Amino acid sequence: MNRLDYVVLIATILAIPLYGLWRTRGRKTLGYYIKGDESIRWATIGLSVLATQAGPITFLSMPGQAYESGIGFVQNYFGQPFALITVCAVFVPIFQRLKVYTAYEYLGQRFDQKTRLLGAFLFLIQRGLAAGITIYAPAIILSALLGWRLNLTIWLAGGLVVAYTAFGGTKIVSITQRYQILIIFVGMALAFIIAVHRLPAGLSFGRALTVAGGMGKLQAVDFSLDPDRRYTFWSGIFGGFFLALSYFGADQSQVQRYLAGGSLTASRFGLLFNAVVKVPMQFLILLLGAMVFLFYQFEEPPIYFNRPAYDRAIALGHGAELNELQAEFDDVFARKRDLLNSSGVNSASRQEILQLDAKARELRDRAKAVLERAGASPKSKDSDYVFITFVLQHLPHGVVGLLIAVILCATMSATAATLNALGSTSAVDFYRPLIRPNAPDHHYVVATELLTIAWGLVAIGVASYASLVENLIETGNILGSIFYGSILGLFLVAFFLRSVRGSAVFFAALLAQCLVLILFWTLSISYLWYNLIGCAAVLVFSLALQRTIFAKSSLA
Amino acid sequence: MKGRDLQSEPNGDSAPLFGSWPKAYCVALGIFAFEIVLFYAFTVVFS
Repeated sequence: MNRLDYVVLIATILAIPLYGLWRTRGRKTLGYYIKGDESIRWATIGLSVLATQAGPITFLSMPGQAYESGIGFVQNYFGQPFALITVCAVFVPIFQRLKVYTAYEYLGQRFDQKTRLLGAFLFLIQRGLAAGITIYAPAIILSALLGWRLNLTIWLAGGLVVAYTAFGGTKIVSITQRYQILIIFVGMALAFIIAVHRLPAGLSFGRALTVAGGMGKLQAVDFSLDPDRRYTFWSGIFGGFFLALSYFGADQSQVQRYLAGGSLTASRFGLLFNAVVKVPMQFLILLLGAMVFLFYQFEEPPIYFNRPAYDRAIALGHGAELNELQAEFDDVFARKRDLLNSSGVNSASRQEILQLDAKARELRDRAKAVLERAGASPKSKDSDYVFITFVLQHLPHGVVGLLIAVILCATMSATAATLNALGSTSAVDFYRPLIRPNAPDHHYVVATELLTIAWGLVAIGVASYASLVENLIETGNILGSIFYGSILGLFLVAFFLRSVRGSAVFFAALLAQCLVLILFWTLSISYLWYNLIGCAAVLVFSLALQRTIFAKSSLA
Repeated sequence: MKGRDLQSEPNGDSAPLFGSWPKAYCVALGIFAFEIVLFYAFTVVFS
């Protein structure tokens, strides 16, 4: 990065929060602080929902995911439109009608105070930890490749978000997210155009797609019923629906985005915007990864993208082993490139090209094994370093700064939404009813600001110790899956099992959460199943408890 | 207000441009179905 990159980076990440602070200056009521004002329109809500979900991992990891396994990952999002429409039809009218500040307030009105606190508590644990991971994941990658100090990166990214989120509340989060996501769109579009432009001169875009497809990177839809296939249309529709329903219906960081503005129409249009835009957006990000893959078929990629880890292994005495692998990798790359240049991917050359590609992958795996033996294994997958390596080594100055700003904008927008929700939930669901029930409105605004700062410090603290976690990106998803099921179960019981009362669902959720934790520690099934298990357990246990132990309360 | 009353449409609330919310949901699902068709065509053409 040169001076121009730093100017673009600093201007971008500072200008948006400063504009947000100017727009939200002045004294605020609790309603304004937590739900914004009537001027927040559906487009802002839609972009805000999109920005909350699209964290830094989306832009760092997705292109790498396509580089490794193709664009089939897009199918994981196929259940999301159905979930968003379900949230529009069932969840939003209830939240808007009751004028709740948090989703868990509704649980208090439908059941009782202890159920509300349980839902809020499960959300706070899960999101408090996940916020730290959201800050840490890009910080470790950027600090490794750019030589920035890790703790300084964490404190700069985290500290800026905490400051503006605590000051401006929901409205500043919505305003900043609108511009942050626009910067992200512009940055990713530029990266896409440059990646295509940097392909060999004789290779048109259509021909490039044929080559990438011939190498197995462009299978976007797979209707196979084979359970061994990782990403299929069916697993995306069913698994994706359930995960998205939990996330959009029961996670306050999203609920607070679409309740901003206060109008049912704005909330619903914001969500429907996501139902039609999210899947194409993910498709294009993955297609960018496929273009980066294609670029590296003609320009030699590193055998291991996380160069600092690779260099550490050499310093630890594994240089000879790695040099041998590198020489073999160079040879495989040259043969593959020559074959692609001479004949492209046709029926005669395809088999050989695929064999060479498999050989290159095997060499990368062997290099990774050497790094692990050397004790230089990093805390994230090497594919997470693919896109950022491409950006740093092959994009022009200025654009590099913009793309680093994209990663930081994504970090800030996702973290701001989370901190805003954590502060609001702590204040509305815990502080106001339990500690100071009848204080003036301004008192609660100050309390929410202070609680937002406190959660920001917790997130930065978690980020500072996240190096103890083995696989960062998986950890965020695992945390969500462990807690989301029980929280969604509480809401589904509230909406659809009208005979069930507070005590039955409260103990059912506790039992379900214990069950999920026991299964998590004893089984080795995919973490996505815990969403389904937790939610189903709450539904079944609450019905069983209501009809047995708490049968008397349903008659009351 | 309890039960199904909460999930019913508030008075005067309708989906601008579409007339009713169920129609708006159908349009969104229609667009999504069209996207899937495009992705499938993309897969067939380039794989």
